[in-house]
Amino acid sequence: MTDTILETRELAKAYTLEDRTIRILDALSLTISAGEFVVITGDSGSGKTTLLTLLSGLDRPTSGRVILAGQDITDLSEDHLARLRNEQIGFVFQAFHLVPSLNAVENIMFPAELKKDRQAADKAARLLTRVGLWERRHHFPEQLSGGEKQRVAICRALINNPGILFADEPTGNLDSKNSEAIVDLLTELQREQKTTLVLATHSTAIAGRAQRIIRLRDGRLCDLKRS
Amino acid sequence: MMLHLRFLLRELVQARRQAAVFVLCVALSLFSMVALNSFRNTVQGVVLGDARSLQGGDILIHSHYPWSPALAQAAAGLEQNGKVRAVRMYECYSVIRPTAGDRTLLTRLKIAEPGYPLYGKVTLQSGRPLETVLTAGNVVAEREVLERLGLKVGDQVHIGNAVLTIADIITHEPDRPVELFALGPRILIPAANLDQLQLIGKSSRVDYGILLKVQHQEDIKTIAAELAKKADPDQEQVATALSTRPQVKVFFDNLFFFLSLISLFTLLLAGIGMQTSLAALLREKRKTLAIIKSLGAPGGFLFLNYFALILALGLLGSLAGIAFGCLLEHYLPVLFAGILPAGTTPVFTLADVAQGLLLGLLAVIFFTFLPLYGLRQIRPMALFRNDMQTGARGIFFYLAALAGLFLLTLFTVRQLQDIQIGLCFIAASLALLFGIWLLTRLLLAVSGRFRLPFLELRQAHKSLFRPGNATCSIVVTLACALSVLLTIHQIQTNLAATYIESYPPEAPNLFFLDIQPEQKEDFIRKAGHDIQLFPIIRARLVSINGQPVRERRQPQQRGDSLTREFNLTYRNALLEDEVLTEGASLFRKDPAGASIPLQVSVLDTVAEMGNMHRGDRLAFNIQGIPLEAAISSIRTRTKSRLYPFFYFVFPEEFLRNAPQTFFAALHLEPQDIAGLENRIASGFPNISFINMTQTAAELGGLARRLTGIVNFFAGFSILAGILILIGSILATRLARIREAVYYTILGAGSRFVLSVFIYEHLLLGLFSSISAVILAQSASWALCRYLFAIRYSPSWPVSILLILLTGLLVVAIGLLSSAGIFRQKPAIALREQYDE
Repeated sequence: MTDTILETRELAKAYTLEDRTIRILDALSLTISAGEFVVITGDSGSGKTTLLTLLSGLDRPTSGRVILAGQDITDLSEDHLARLRNEQIGFVFQAFHLVPSLNAVENIMFPAELKKDRQAADKAARLLTRVGLWERRHHFPEQLSGGEKQRVAICRALINNPGILFADEPTGNLDSKNSEAIVDLLTELQREQKTTLVLATHSTAIAGRAQRIIRLRDGRLCDLKRS
Repeated sequence: MMLHLRFLLRELVQARRQAAVFVLCVALSLFSMVALNSFRNTVQGVVLGDARSLQGGDILIHSHYPWSPALAQAAAGLEQNGKVRAVRMYECYSVIRPTAGDRTLLTRLKIAEPGYPLYGKVTLQSGRPLETVLTAGNVVAEREVLERLGLKVGDQVHIGNAVLTIADIITHEPDRPVELFALGPRILIPAANLDQLQLIGKSSRVDYGILLKVQHQEDIKTIAAELAKKADPDQEQVATALSTRPQVKVFFDNLFFFLSLISLFTLLLAGIGMQTSLAALLREKRKTLAIIKSLGAPGGFLFLNYFALILALGLLGSLAGIAFGCLLEHYLPVLFAGILPAGTTPVFTLADVAQGLLLGLLAVIFFTFLPLYGLRQIRPMALFRNDMQTGARGIFFYLAALAGLFLLTLFTVRQLQDIQIGLCFIAASLALLFGIWLLTRLLLAVSGRFRLPFLELRQAHKSLFRPGNATCSIVVTLACALSVLLTIHQIQTNLAATYIESYPPEAPNLFFLDIQPEQKEDFIRKAGHDIQLFPIIRARLVSINGQPVRERRQPQQRGDSLTREFNLTYRNALLEDEVLTEGASLFRKDPAGASIPLQVSVLDTVAEMGNMHRGDRLAFNIQGIPLEAAISSIRTRTKSRLYPFFYFVFPEEFLRNAPQTFFAALHLEPQDIAGLENRIASGFPNISFINMTQTAAELGGLARRLTGIVNFFAGFSILAGILILIGSILATRLARIREAVYYTILGAGSRFVLSVFIYEHLLLGLFSSISAVILAQSASWALCRYLFAIRYSPSWPVSILLILLTGLLVVAIGLLSSAGIFRQKPAIALREQYDE
């Protein structure tokens, strides 16, 4: 039996906007095993992104617990969570979110430099070469195409060898050809580095490639099956 | 925790325009203060010199009367014992005339014993030592004497009853380093000619002085105390050079103090600019900062790195401020021309640089704390949600804010060298900022309730509330700066209108002083005009209802004091511009039943000062003779005429024989003045006369020069508002482009886009200037009404002009700063928005 790397217990999230309370997630309990490729799928507004942000520690739940690698991260301080995000978690965003003032290789190096990794440059170079962007290493985000930006973002997410990689609609802003290439890259790297990959998407094609699918509807689990 | 230099440099390059605005704000916050502090030191050291030179001695004894025997004996005794060296002096005004020609000139005479000055040096044009020139029969004079009388060195002049030779020209006096305002130029006369002058009489208006140079400096205080015990406290003052402040020093202290207030105000406004520009920069960077946090950077990482960035920019700004301050300081002698001696060279020292750096550092830390603290509140979730609420401010925030305010107050107190005024300044500034902020919010809220007439204006109004727009900061800063400038202008205009320009045409323009009783009839005859003479008896008020005046708490209204010397007079009727407020007549006709026969009528202003009422007993000292009187009536002036007035009026029969001089006021056509002056001067050398229109014009000129200096410094505060405006436009550049693109996509032409933009800035300018006018008019009215007690005229044309010019200025700055926005292509803008 593989180890559980991520577990949630009765996870819930609600937002208050002026005088309205909007429940995004409701009583979600799930587990994810180490090294697994899991897709979280559902229609637009089903709570995929919200679930991903709670699992990755980017946001705090309204109620419930999140346990990452055996540690309850629900009530950790921001600085504790920051260290987790730097060392154990990688995140790939739909909108890429590269630092505009840093070029491609510098964006990738940044998380490693945060933990004072002396081999940051070498690691970044290897990753950049691996994704075929070594020639573009000095280019700034505004000079890269969407697909190139997402590849840089994936390298950035993996430079510190995180135990778990979260990807929120990584192909949402890409054309079909680039989308396929990105998903291929993610899955290849996930296998190579034996990282757990949790990917949120509304694409059934991508979902079909996962080892497990978690389906959400209106903030609740409606289906949990192996593909 | 680490400094990520590459990240910092890249951030700086990417935000270079906002960084430039920040650096300029830092420079603006300190450059005028650096220049002022350095210049003040220059004036202090070079112009004012040391206290002893300025005062002329270690100990100064002063009186308006001949010396009391005890004091004269004490001083003589000290001199004989060799403990001090003494020089006696007499100062008075007198009209002089050349031996040939008919010109006359009112001058200030100083008659001094040999040895004057005890400290410092009187320098003469010839370069000769004073003691070799100032011998019996010779005088030295300021250049103005020769110029105005058409004389040269070697010519002779009538001074009093003497004929003396002008032997040289004074170029510098140690106790009068600058000429601020005087009724006449200086003439220095040797004491050997004192008797010959016949100007020093019992009732003459003369300042008696003794300057002492103490043999052993450590004895100064002891000797001063000894002499003070012998002095008549009502008439004679003994002071040391260090314990008194010469008038010229008081003047410069007050002037620099006021300019410091203005520079501090500019610092406050520039500080708001720093805070606003940094907040705008961090708002722009919000997504980047959230990315950094999502990658695992701890909260302290961002704070440390941006703090280092801010310090670096602050250092750059401080150096720029110091450089500008140095340049400004070299311009200050031009600005102060006519007030400082020509050739005054400012000196900028390392201490000035160090002080500037420290000031810049403190200002940066204080004003950037709030935005930097906000870095802690940025969460990674900001990448996903724009409505992300920031966390509540903890206790540390409020403690730090209080500490910062405390430091700012400390600095202000140090700069102004007065705790009370420093605290009042901080409180008043914060109240002003808060008041204008409230007024701004009110104006914005009220304006939103009206349906504006056309679409461009409605869109422009909505743009004021665009997220990231620093509308409130711009309006508050500009309004504060403009309101200060307008208030200064209004006060100066109203004071000038009341005291200088509104001199009624028929009012007396020639005043004659020191007319002796035996000269009355001859004077009236020689004047050849229907002229009224007012008797003047110099006296001091000793007590009110038995309570000594010195011990009473006196309200310091109008800067007057009950302990000063007064001019008593006598007459039996009210003047044309007087009415009684208490009492049926000036004096009780039947004093039977009153225990004190002597009565006095009191003017309401002095009655208020001393809380006096009808029936109160006043005790006077009339040149050594005590006199007591009961208040019979209280008068007020209608101010329907500009006429001499007196606080205390006695019945004629009681003071007719007291030691007195006479004062006359006359109105003459300008062409007749010189002739009368010459007749009076030749017939009565001891009588002084003052041409009021000339004096008023000179005073007006001085007031205008001073106002010009104040306005120059106050003008810098407007730059703070302009910098914030530029910073705000830069910060909302993308949002403005997006709006412009949306308008274009939806079918609006470039004229519509430009109109919206112009109206937005016009509204900003209008809100700023209208707030400023409301505040300035209110403050000016209150100051004129309650502080200066003068009529107030609002000068609406000036206010309207201010509103128009501000609107134009803000539109112009806005257009210049947004040049690239209108040229942006829609496709590029949309892609940038997508990438954002």
